[in-house]
Amino acid sequence: MLELRLVQGSLLKKLLEAIKDLVTDANFDCSATGFSLQAMDSSHVALVSLLLRSEAFEHYRCDRNISMGLNLSNMAKVLRCSGPDDIITLKADDGGDSLTFMFESPNQDKIADFEMKLMDIDSEHLGIPDTEYQAIVRMPSAEFARICKDLSGIGDTIAISVTKEGVKFSTRGDIGSANIVCRQNTSVDKPEDATIIEMEEPVTLTFALRYINSFTKATPLSNQVTLSLSSDLPVVVEYKIAEMGYIRFYLAPKIDEEELENMATSEARPNVETRPKAGPKPKSETETKPKKEAKPETEVIPVEEANSPEEVKPKEEAQTVVEVMDAE
Amino acid sequence: MVLLLLRSCYAQCHTILFSPHFKSLSRTSKPFSLSLVHFSPKRIPNMSSKPSAFDRLMSGARAVAAAKKNKPPPPPSPKKRKTPDSTTPQNPNPAPSPNDVPEPPAPGTKQQELNSSSEVKKSKLVEDNGGIKKRPSSSSSSASERLAELKCKIPLLKKKAAEFDSKKVACWGEGERVPFIFLCLAFDLISNETGRIVITDIVCNALRTVMNTTPDDLLAIVYLLANRIGPAHEGLELGIGDASIIKALAEACGRTEVQIKKQYKELGDLGLVAKASRSSQSMMRKPDPLTVAKVFDTFRLIAKESGQNSQEKKKNHIKGLLVAATDCEPQYLIRLLQTKLRIGLAEQTLLAALGQAAVYAEKHSKPPSDIQSPLEEAAKIVKQVYSVLPVYDKIVPALLSDGVWNLRKTCTFTLGVPVGPMLAKPTKGVSEILSKFQNTVYTCEYKYDGERAQIHYMENGMVEIYSRNAERNTAKFPDVVAAIPRLKKDCVKSFVLDCELVAYDRDRKKILPFQTLITRARKNVVMSEIKVDVCIYAFDMLYLNGKPLIQEELKVRREHLYESFEEEPGYFQFATAITSNDIEEIQTFLEAAVNASCEGLIVKTLDRDATYEPSKRSLNWLKLKKDYMDTIGDSVDLVPIAAFHGRGKRTGVYGAFLLACYDGDKEEFQSICKIGTGFSEAMLEERSASLRSKVIPKPKPYFRYSDTLNPDVWFEPTEVWEVKAADLTISPVHRAAVGIADADKGISLRFPRLLRVREDKAPEQATSSEQELQAHEIFFCLEETSILLSVLENSSLFSENLCFIVAIFGLFSFMLKGRARNTVVVYIGM
Repeated sequence: MLELRLVQGSLLKKLLEAIKDLVTDANFDCSATGFSLQAMDSSHVALVSLLLRSEAFEHYRCDRNISMGLNLSNMAKVLRCSGPDDIITLKADDGGDSLTFMFESPNQDKIADFEMKLMDIDSEHLGIPDTEYQAIVRMPSAEFARICKDLSGIGDTIAISVTKEGVKFSTRGDIGSANIVCRQNTSVDKPEDATIIEMEEPVTLTFALRYINSFTKATPLSNQVTLSLSSDLPVVVEYKIAEMGYIRFYLAPKIDEEELENMATSEARPNVETRPKAGPKPKSETETKPKKEAKPETEVIPVEEANSPEEVKPKEEAQTVVEVMDAE
Repeated sequence: MVLLLLRSCYAQCHTILFSPHFKSLSRTSKPFSLSLVHFSPKRIPNMSSKPSAFDRLMSGARAVAAAKKNKPPPPPSPKKRKTPDSTTPQNPNPAPSPNDVPEPPAPGTKQQELNSSSEVKKSKLVEDNGGIKKRPSSSSSSASERLAELKCKIPLLKKKAAEFDSKKVACWGEGERVPFIFLCLAFDLISNETGRIVITDIVCNALRTVMNTTPDDLLAIVYLLANRIGPAHEGLELGIGDASIIKALAEACGRTEVQIKKQYKELGDLGLVAKASRSSQSMMRKPDPLTVAKVFDTFRLIAKESGQNSQEKKKNHIKGLLVAATDCEPQYLIRLLQTKLRIGLAEQTLLAALGQAAVYAEKHSKPPSDIQSPLEEAAKIVKQVYSVLPVYDKIVPALLSDGVWNLRKTCTFTLGVPVGPMLAKPTKGVSEILSKFQNTVYTCEYKYDGERAQIHYMENGMVEIYSRNAERNTAKFPDVVAAIPRLKKDCVKSFVLDCELVAYDRDRKKILPFQTLITRARKNVVMSEIKVDVCIYAFDMLYLNGKPLIQEELKVRREHLYESFEEEPGYFQFATAITSNDIEEIQTFLEAAVNASCEGLIVKTLDRDATYEPSKRSLNWLKLKKDYMDTIGDSVDLVPIAAFHGRGKRTGVYGAFLLACYDGDKEEFQSICKIGTGFSEAMLEERSASLRSKVIPKPKPYFRYSDTLNPDVWFEPTEVWEVKAADLTISPVHRAAVGIADADKGISLRFPRLLRVREDKAPEQATSSEQELQAHEIFFCLEETSILLSVLENSSLFSENLCFIVAIFGLFSFMLKGRARNTVVVYIGM
């Protein structure tokens, strides 16, 4: 039996709007700690992880852990039927094959029930370890969205580079190039307008702008966005939802054009000889070292861990993941 | 906890060991040769496989996986509705939980790492020696190891079938899904062979391997080998064009469509482009390796997507497959999607291989003792059964359950499943027929110029119409469907009719040309909107009242046919036929056929060797077409003015040329047809080379062509080619004689083929469009064009040597750019 009553129903609506274009189908997982989702886009380049803690709900009843597969665009359609101030209650029976959405208007004069069929979705749950990032940028989310939108008019990649001076967003396209630098700025009236840069090492990473732009659909959820970067690691774009939870987007970086060029020249035409070698990723083991190198040490983990106990759940699943990873 | 310990130390070791190389490694795909990977990671960029950024993030998890390697794999279908509570049996918590204390490095993991790699080396060695080391196959063996293993084993498929042991090749466990890479490697092997026997062996051995491990996947693999997604009559099509594939490819590897298209032009094969596409986008996690079943299921999903955004959904499915594809998988994935496998695997070979594989895998019964060579017999059985019931979904399960020797009984002609129509061999003249059919009774029928159709009438009154290619055409001919119940006699409960649907003018009682028939709408035809009526010309009967007739002689079948239907002029007629062996009579009959707007004659044996042989071009049916007759149709001299880049086999040369004729009056070259046949490889090479120097950046102002053609390059008009064609048609695309034949349509050639290059002629001496018009019979409907005031008479006769003489007296008067012109065309050609 599952019954979740969310007074601030619009939150769920905004969450769905933020992820429905990135992911088409996904499993929502409910456990004692909260209501969460983790999914990758079809090209496995981006990963979204969201969490609404149980405290976020006025009433939270989840007798046993349950995973519900839903088509996100259909779910968004259903949620769009709710009013802006409606209270949303999610209900599901154990072993049932549907999820019920109940929308109550604030003064209780209208109650709507929507039932959605659940679907079987194959999804792998990744255990996401916490990492110490080389640079963390916190800035107003609207500002970030604006920057991404502006840049997408010029090019289709975005280079984010964090230095002592500030954070630079740049792109290059057929019509020219663009650079936007944001400096650290803590002397503001409202804390949400602040731009804070914590940097241990300068970092520059390039991403497909298309994805970043789609992440900024989460802007209405939070005034601030946090970008966490380490070289060669996926960037984390996080929108904190007050005290209730978060939505995090992970995006794998692009590979430098130059490096690609080098690869191209060193390789000549694909010919039969080279093919056999061009295997799948060899030894997954080899890949692993980078990360160690990137992160100072394991000590850091507990720190981060403290504020996200919900993480436990995904980890349990990580076991399945493990095999898959290895299978590469 | 132990696991956790391992993980962290593992991490440590690697930092020390490999950090200098990590960058190159992580970004390029890694070299595959196992023994080297760990110790000399050099950069051998892989196309198509992607670096996975998340893997790095995930290293912890992987370490646990490594530690867990010896554990049994999880149950085959870890299922949905997962309840991640503590009831799960194995629950190692790979990611650090809040209470975790940083673990001290333990120097054990590295050891293990090395062990595992050396183990791989060992196993490889063993296999090289032909040993039978069987790996504990399971999902826990890493994909790259498995690939390595599979790669060195795959040549074993080439072994003679009798010496082959499927256990040596399979690197997956019994009941485990067959990896897609296995199929791709087999494709690769096949594409490097040309001999049919070797190819049959490879396919047979591959199928046996699947039968012995995962028979459930046999159907999928057979379909993929046949490059189909379902039986033809179900009409299931992938419905994706190059554009969708290019888009998916661009998105899957983070490149732009422009880059892909450029490379497509260079390589000429999207499959190779896919293979060569280095990804500029790293991935969060490499998806699971593809399985044959997964690929096939996704293909079916793609085919079934319809309606709004279906192209987008299809693209996403493709993308999902592409990102998971490694090694040579993308290449074959794309070719399968394009339904252009092009590895030289004919369906007949596949059927033979399937039959042979079934013999080896036979568990049910021994071959009947009277069979000399069971392999050949089995191949024959499967081929024959497939021709009667071309549905793998029925044949493959029947093979697996009841065996090949019972196949003829388990899979029989089924109402509602079209069989391939029996085809006729072309002949050049009446004398040839006489010599081929000595001492046999044969019959001659008109060969109507329409659409071949197989009409199935079910017991419940349902009617289905199938085309020559077994496509369901029922919706295209609602008028035929409506007429059928009226035309059959009452005693007929069910039947299958082989017939030709021909456009027919019921007022003038005349057969209309094929060109008129194809103007009918193709989809969702509404009875009231039908402008072109059709008449059914029935000539064969394959099934009647629950009994298949295909094993009966034509004489019997025809009697059944005549007894079962009522002729109704303009709606249903039996094909006009005579039974004779007199050469004069047949010639007169042929003449009559041509005069009755037929293509010629079909000559069939009547009571000996006269069974219906589905989808066979049998010697028992011969066709005599006016097109084939030696003297018909002068060749014409035309000028290549443009070309299209070749694809596939013709990469690097031009694939097709646009030919034009010269209009002396207007001093312009008018496009008349595209040509791609009649070239030997050497000739194509030669022509491409010589024309390459004549490429001009844009078409000359005096070229007349349709904007829809879009050739890749244009030429200076320099060469003259002698081309032979079967017929002339009115074409909305081509511009030859435009305005004369039709207000805004030109004429075009049917089935043009190159004879030779006319070195002795200048482009201006090429056949003129007026000559084109004259040189052949013309049957366009002048009354349809409003600008033309014309009188056209058209008659045709036959001379003794079957030379076809066409005489046209025409008067064309028309206006062109304010210039009035009168032309009188009088022509008598031999």
